[in-house]
Amino acid sequence: MKIGKAIITAAGPGQRRLPLQTLIDRDGEQKSVLTVIIEEVSRAGINDTCIVIHPDDEIAFRSFAGDHSGHISFVYQQEPRGYGHAIWCARDFVKGEPFLHLVGDHLYVSRMLKGCAQRVVESAETESCSVSAVQATREGYLPNFGVVSGKRIHGRNDLYAIETVIEKPTPTEAEQRLIVPGLHAGYYLCFFGIHVLTPAVMQILQRQIEGAPDGRLATISSALHQLAHQEKYLALEMQDYRYNVGVKYGLLNAQLALALSGEDRDEVITMLMEMLLIREHYAGERSKE
Amino acid sequence: MSVLTAIITSKDQSTRDQALDAFCRSATLEQLLSECKSLEEFRHASLNLYEQVRALFFLYAIHRFHLPTKKGLPSRGLIPFQGYDDLLHRRFEEAIERFLAAQSQDGPHDGISSALAAAYRSLGFQTLANQVRASVRSVRGNQWMFRAGHPSDYPLRVVPTLLEKTDGLYPLLHERTPVRMDLSHSGWSDIFFLGMDFPEGARVLNISINLAVRDHHAQQIPRPPVEAYFRVIDTPMIRLVSTDLGAVTEITSFAQIFDYAVDYLGLLKGAVIASGIVPPSMEGATQPLADLLSELVGPGLGIEIVSQVNNIPKGSRLAVSTTLLGSIIAVCMRATGQTSSLSGSLTENERRTIASRAILGEWLSGSGGGWQDSGGVWPGIKIIQGVCSTDGDIEYGVSRGCLLPRHTILTHEDVSPASRKQLQDSLILVHGGMAQDVGPILEMVTERYLLRSETEWQGRQEALALFDHIVAELKRGDIQAIGKSTHRNFLGPIQTIIPWASNLYTESIIHRVKAEFGKDFWGFWMLGGMSGGGMGFLFHPSRKIEAQNRLWEIMRSEKHRLEHGIPFAMEPVVYDFTVNEQGSSAELSRGEKTVMPQPYYALIIPSLLRRDPRAMSVHQRNELDHFSSACRSNPALEGMLQQIFERILPDGGTEIPQHQSLNELLDRYGFDRIQHNQLKADLKSGRIGLAQNRLPINSTIVDVEDGDVDEIAGDRFSKYASVGSAAIASGTVAVLTLAAGSGSRWTKGAGTVKALNPYCRIGGVHRTFIETHLAKTRRTMKQFGATIPHVFSTGYLTHDAIKQHLEDAQNYGFDGDLLLSPGSSIGLRLIPTVRDLRFAWLEMPQQLLDEQAQKVLESLHASLMDWAERTGEGSDYTDNLPLQCLHPVGHWYEIPNLFRNGVLLQLLRSFPDLQHILVHNIDTVGANLDPAILGHHIESKAGMTVEVITRRLDDRGGGLARTEGRLRLIEGLALPREEYEFILSYYNTATYWIDLDRVLHVFGLRRSDLASPKTVTEAVRSLASRMPTYITLKNVKKRWGKGQEDIYPTLQYEKLWGDMTALPGLRCSYVVVPRERGQQLKEPAQMDGWLRDGSADYVQSLCEWQ
Repeated sequence: MKIGKAIITAAGPGQRRLPLQTLIDRDGEQKSVLTVIIEEVSRAGINDTCIVIHPDDEIAFRSFAGDHSGHISFVYQQEPRGYGHAIWCARDFVKGEPFLHLVGDHLYVSRMLKGCAQRVVESAETESCSVSAVQATREGYLPNFGVVSGKRIHGRNDLYAIETVIEKPTPTEAEQRLIVPGLHAGYYLCFFGIHVLTPAVMQILQRQIEGAPDGRLATISSALHQLAHQEKYLALEMQDYRYNVGVKYGLLNAQLALALSGEDRDEVITMLMEMLLIREHYAGERSKE
Repeated sequence: MSVLTAIITSKDQSTRDQALDAFCRSATLEQLLSECKSLEEFRHASLNLYEQVRALFFLYAIHRFHLPTKKGLPSRGLIPFQGYDDLLHRRFEEAIERFLAAQSQDGPHDGISSALAAAYRSLGFQTLANQVRASVRSVRGNQWMFRAGHPSDYPLRVVPTLLEKTDGLYPLLHERTPVRMDLSHSGWSDIFFLGMDFPEGARVLNISINLAVRDHHAQQIPRPPVEAYFRVIDTPMIRLVSTDLGAVTEITSFAQIFDYAVDYLGLLKGAVIASGIVPPSMEGATQPLADLLSELVGPGLGIEIVSQVNNIPKGSRLAVSTTLLGSIIAVCMRATGQTSSLSGSLTENERRTIASRAILGEWLSGSGGGWQDSGGVWPGIKIIQGVCSTDGDIEYGVSRGCLLPRHTILTHEDVSPASRKQLQDSLILVHGGMAQDVGPILEMVTERYLLRSETEWQGRQEALALFDHIVAELKRGDIQAIGKSTHRNFLGPIQTIIPWASNLYTESIIHRVKAEFGKDFWGFWMLGGMSGGGMGFLFHPSRKIEAQNRLWEIMRSEKHRLEHGIPFAMEPVVYDFTVNEQGSSAELSRGEKTVMPQPYYALIIPSLLRRDPRAMSVHQRNELDHFSSACRSNPALEGMLQQIFERILPDGGTEIPQHQSLNELLDRYGFDRIQHNQLKADLKSGRIGLAQNRLPINSTIVDVEDGDVDEIAGDRFSKYASVGSAAIASGTVAVLTLAAGSGSRWTKGAGTVKALNPYCRIGGVHRTFIETHLAKTRRTMKQFGATIPHVFSTGYLTHDAIKQHLEDAQNYGFDGDLLLSPGSSIGLRLIPTVRDLRFAWLEMPQQLLDEQAQKVLESLHASLMDWAERTGEGSDYTDNLPLQCLHPVGHWYEIPNLFRNGVLLQLLRSFPDLQHILVHNIDTVGANLDPAILGHHIESKAGMTVEVITRRLDDRGGGLARTEGRLRLIEGLALPREEYEFILSYYNTATYWIDLDRVLHVFGLRRSDLASPKTVTEAVRSLASRMPTYITLKNVKKRWGKGQEDIYPTLQYEKLWGDMTALPGLRCSYVVVPRERGQQLKEPAQMDGWLRDGSADYVQSLCEWQ
């Protein structure tokens, strides 16, 4: 199985401006979040990317895609009908081929030489099936993620055959249905935001959307749950870092993470130290007064 | 290998089910002691819960019931105080270690065996309770609640639908849950421990029902009696409202929600915690609760939970409290997405989670329930049965059964709609109104089950067979046969297992119903732990309406007849019911349809109206607007405006009649206001109080010396017996039974007359204390051919009731002289000082409860101290029924009252040779006119002979001591240190033989003075002033609502007759009597042991019944 296409979703309400935020990447250059994500896709050897956006956003996205805008297509999600629907909007783009999918509001910092998306793509190509990146996550974060459970693949520490996928489960349900042997108590395999999916997902989404009354939101998790019962579907456990730029201080956090793992590491550390020392100094002065 | 460990560990079921009693009956003392040693080693070595617990109960039973009966076991010996202290602090293993060390040092004796029995039993129950808790915590779906410690870890969110306002109002989620009835009566097999040990035997037929209290004026349609509501509010708090208890609380901190007893909302708090909304692991978190609410509902928002139990009184035996927990947990789980749907029914998995969390909630809020009690969450009729644990279950390898049972719902093919209807048309559910504490019964069942006591074990097998019958009868729709089976179950297995399940009240009702309805009465059916509260009667359908009316009347008249002796919490009620085929279900309403139950508005709206409109939140203003328009248009809120108007305007004057009647009573019973005011002043200034009861700390208190007490045995026995017999035969003896007190420990302060309580079935009939005493005197009279006068001293609380009762019972056919000696002293209870409460609860050694129960108790103590402070420390206690505000002033007065009220004079006219009076408490049922003891008393020429017994662990309250060199009885209240009691070998039975002339002499009186009231009164007052006054703390019940009871501590004072032994002018002698003679029955929980250890048979042998 060869993966040559990628879908990035960026049409969700509240998410539309996030990929357009700028920050300094590891190489010291100023880029938009969108550019950093597109580069993550390129590192995985994929140059044919589609971004699902709101119809009003195309001009802005094109300008923020920088040098990459030449090989990017845009697909519109006319109404906010959910994450699953957004992916389904790109069905004509994938044309029945497997594809890489990333969300538009997450940045990834790999702990290895290879990029995060790259390793997911390699696993999918080797195993010839859909693969979702997952990460062991504390139960306090369950309200934010889709969660999977499954059995570890013999001989592999980081690969699981997925059996169940539930979107934002309660801890009660997670404990009853999503416990994975080998994880610490209270930890679950939550989606990392990177997936390689086979075209079967588009068919499942199609059925879901056609079967749903107007306005009902299609969730990707329920489609993926069905996928797990339909064909081989694996989870690749990542030890890397992901940053959601859509939460409070998310962008700052992502920026610091990028800076601390890049060329300007020493400069940033010095800056932070200075900031802390000055703060301490003034705090001491104030307490003397 | 020891015989008993072999029984426990046997692979063969029939060997394992062997009874302990069978072996112990024939074993010698040495054999039993050696078995105890082996069992002790075995229980430490075994890793299996069941083996450990069974060994513990074997050890308990050997020490409690078998060793004391073996020849060669000395009865006198001391119990180490440190061990007792360990027991109080629930350090059971340490206590056992200390008691065993004492046993090997001093040799075995009756006292140390009583201590070991208590320690083994407590450890057994603690081990079982810990296992249930561990299982509840380990249930998948519950574990996370014990991990989340910080609001930022908090993983629940309210489902978005509940945050979408319509017309300015948040949506309202409304859960309705039926209660459950157990048609089979499970033979208590739904107790967790039993289900976990013998899952095959744990089976119940559980039916979800709608209910309505039958109203003779208006037809009520049965509906799910338990309801819970959930909605978002725009204030960051958790508002809990119980409409039936009329209580509201607004919680803004973690500490408040974990404070269970501070108000009446402990159960609601337990449910909120068990639902995961505030996980139990957050207890002690110091962050504001708003942090958690901000995660749950959003910044600035909170939640409101409202509960309603529709007129079902407490003690209905329909598992109302567990159902309420289940209902609130269900609505909270729905609201936080822990169920698949917000409205409608629940899935099997969700019901199981709710059931396990209801168990958790029971534990947290300190209530108790069985394993089938969440049955109402399930629909219709179901069989609930224990499940054997298998590999993968958390219980596997620990206990044979799983904590949670399996529910199999019977379909309409299994039990046809016609059969269901027939059941509804035949069965009448009632609440008899009795106040009951089922806790001890459940412990008894567990104990007997683990001991496999022969007859009880057979009873259990029979109950299991009857269960199969009942299920088959229900399936074929033969309701008459069901009636027969449930009736047989009640008369047979249930009472074989626990005789206390029945009582005189229940049996009287059954008797009358049977007589009135003949063959149309199909049978009685007992619900739950014991009868007298919730009960069922099956009739021919054609007579159901008539039977409902008659049952109500019969129950009322029987209650009226017995209520002086039996505590009732409320008037009896009859219910209408229908089978509920939905189980717990919910619906969501929005906008103008969001209507809370009527009583909610009656509680909330008046306080809203008093507020400045500008201080109200938007939601509150919308709520008011909505309410005012709904009142006009919604029929459910008809009459609300009038109700609220009445609430807002204060209603004066209702208290006045009660006060008047209290004052009348005080005047009638000779209340001494001057003395009372002096007492109040002394109490407030700290001159008297609980701490001041004690003798100075430097007092010398030591145990008796050789020769201080006499044991009547051997050659001397026959000599004394012949002297005593002659005295009885010659008419020189009378009996005085002290019956003026209320026996507050017997009913936890319910204020009934203990003398009239049918305390036990002896010789096949429920006997009152008074009847028992008369039967003993009757037998003595017959034996000696003498006439013996029997006097009962009475008080303000007991006189009229005893007099009426004796008239009704025609003196139980007693043909001797039977006299009542009315009291002429009374006290008014006082609100305790915080100082005294602190002393009683914090400084005196207290029984520490199980961790959670202790938290609840401490919270209750804190709120009671607050109550005392707010209401006025040391002021008169008047906020209760008048009779509950008064108190008797101690039994010291009951003997001089004989001199003052003319009864002694009257006696002397009929029996001029009267010389000796046996004085004993109403609850010392083994005391009789024993000729040998009387002979000893006469020969000793003592002014008073006191009967003492060797001490057991439960014998608390002083004893016989050498105090400053003088041999005397010392009250527990007066001991300078708690541990002094444990150096005293003998305990006071409160049975005295008094020599009339010598005692009169101490009062400064002669027989001839008795005709002069003034002389007598002065003499009594003069001696009374020399007697110590003890301040004591007594619990008083206050009843309210529908069978609700609050218990308040109050202060009272008393003078005690035992202090007469300290008077230099009265020479006393002391004799040791056997325990069965000297045992006082202070609490119903003692009764089971008393019945089983041979004491009851002993009493029966002393009696000749009418």
